[in-house]
Amino acid sequence: MKTSSFTHLARCRVRRAALLAAVLLGGAIQGGHALAARAESTADHSKFKELQQAFSSGPEVTQACLNCHTEASKQVHRTKHWTWEFLNPANDQRLGKKNVINNFCISVPSNYPFCTSCHVGYGWKDASFDFKSEANVDCLVCHDTTGSYRKLPGLAGHPPYQDTEIPPGSGKIARAVDLTKVAQKVGRTSRDTCGACHFFGGGGDGVKHGDMDSSLAAPDKELDVHMDATGLDFTCGTCHRTSSHDIPGSRYTPVARDTEGAHVPGREDRSLPATCPACHGQTPHKGNGPAAKLNDHTDTVACQTCHIPAIARGGVATKMSWDWSTAGQLGPDGKAMMKKDGDGRVIYDSKKGDFVLGENVIPDYAWFNGDVTYTLLGDKVDKNDAVTRINTLGGSAGDGRSLIWPMKVFHGVQPYDPVNRTLVTPHTAGNDDTAYWRNFGWEKAIDAGMSVSGASFSGKVDFIKTEMSWPITHMVAPKEQAVRCGECHSKGGRLERIEGIYIPGRDGNRLIDLLGWLMAGGALAGALIHGGLRLLRRDA
Amino acid sequence: MKSRQLLLTALTIGLLGLSCGAGAYDGDWKRGRVYYRSVCTACHAAQAGGSIAPSTMTKAQWDSYLQADKHAKGKDSLKQYVGKAYRASIRSQNKAAEKFSDVPDDDMFEDIKAFVIKGAKDGDAPASCS
Repeated sequence: MKTSSFTHLARCRVRRAALLAAVLLGGAIQGGHALAARAESTADHSKFKELQQAFSSGPEVTQACLNCHTEASKQVHRTKHWTWEFLNPANDQRLGKKNVINNFCISVPSNYPFCTSCHVGYGWKDASFDFKSEANVDCLVCHDTTGSYRKLPGLAGHPPYQDTEIPPGSGKIARAVDLTKVAQKVGRTSRDTCGACHFFGGGGDGVKHGDMDSSLAAPDKELDVHMDATGLDFTCGTCHRTSSHDIPGSRYTPVARDTEGAHVPGREDRSLPATCPACHGQTPHKGNGPAAKLNDHTDTVACQTCHIPAIARGGVATKMSWDWSTAGQLGPDGKAMMKKDGDGRVIYDSKKGDFVLGENVIPDYAWFNGDVTYTLLGDKVDKNDAVTRINTLGGSAGDGRSLIWPMKVFHGVQPYDPVNRTLVTPHTAGNDDTAYWRNFGWEKAIDAGMSVSGASFSGKVDFIKTEMSWPITHMVAPKEQAVRCGECHSKGGRLERIEGIYIPGRDGNRLIDLLGWLMAGGALAGALIHGGLRLLRRDA
Repeated sequence: MKSRQLLLTALTIGLLGLSCGAGAYDGDWKRGRVYYRSVCTACHAAQAGGSIAPSTMTKAQWDSYLQADKHAKGKDSLKQYVGKAYRASIRSQNKAAEKFSDVPDDDMFEDIKAFVIKGAKDGDAPASCS
């Protein structure tokens, strides 16, 4: 009987121990994950009741976000990402995507539903868009962490709410976005969220910028020392340090020469955080000798000039030119066609014309002081000019504000009005009868587009050569791959066309060079003769 | 009898905790992307005659491939190349292995799974090798 009681007691203890172990094991595993989650964020959005519902539209999600983030939409409303408008205080030009004309897809007005797939809002399908609506702000496009959120061209900034064939008739289905899943997983912006638009500017991967494409989503050190996914792993926001949703780093009023020192936490500093000196200061090369010599260059040469040796280094080609005048050629079947090069890259599209693409392109170089002046709708242009500059970058050797910058210079041939002598804003994208990509008729397309822009159109169409400059600042190579001294300090080198400055190795006068060599030779000879004579005299 | 019920209840709670704990980890597709490209692709490109893009298979195919856990046509285990031991063996030459050296094996595997499922032919964002 005693034995039986003992056995029973022992069994109970074993069971209790097992009970405790089981509970602890389960809890421990959960606790481990909770700890891991806490290390990354202070909030798990899936636990918010506001987000535990089925959403049928983007604005519904935004309404839920605004329950806690009460000021977010108002902040976004004040940014260029929302307004697509910017008044340049330097010259009073009204810029922004809404107003400028470029030589890629040309212009936004009349093409809103397609272009605004890169707007941080919902529903901008025409000029009646409500810019005051807080619910129209798209939180998810910047704060998605799932990688599943996307906005499709033609939906005026909305993601697909049901499975959608895109392009229509292609058989390719873009699946409906799970808004609840995305909303519950929001987080900080990332290279992927910024890149969803900025990598694809101009209508495709790497098309526009030349220093931004999808290869920067998870780059290695060879491509970008700062964004290296296995190293420093900078996001865009690491340099473009954002405050109240306002992101510094403008292409309309860029800082070409930052004369401030490195930013120090705690010290008041109103200079732009997105420049190289903002972290590296004015003497970035450490040490004496060669390093000190390199530091001598920082008042003349932008950091990017040496440290970004080529454009489009990540394996994605960028467009270097675009000829709209050849658009509209149809295939033997009477349908729009594409031609590809040996690498499978599109070099002709009936809708867009001919392209030239490039990888690892040596940049152009120019003095740049941050002043940018655009040729806007209504400004007179002249076909007799060698080229019409879409944007003219200011700068010279002697203005005290300029540095030598690397540029992607993009060449275009685009439609213009030869009677009014203005650039035009064609209606390209759409399924209506006036859209160029549907009817391939320039007159109708430009008439429709100019009408939306509120500009006059003579009805005549011709094509004009244009040029647009893009200062290069991303894809910073490791220092071992920086431009070598001899690549600039030589005749026919990278800086061959830079004026207003004496560059040793590039510049020279044969007579002065001869005189210099004679002097050096004479000095050497004098020293040798002098030394020789002293030796002889000592022996004597 | 009571203690048996108590034990069963406790085990249930424990197992629930286990399953919830396991389910709580959502694969980090971005970390999986870096590992896939820097370790899997790098090795395949250099030694196995070519890389395998996530978009070459459907989600279902990836799922069954990962579940089967057979690498090199069954010669060895797939998980072997994701585990800490393997990462430690190549960390001196591979920055991704170095950076993720302390990530638990199961988490790393889930990360890679999340990336290939997302990048599958029918995934949210079909992905290439690079």
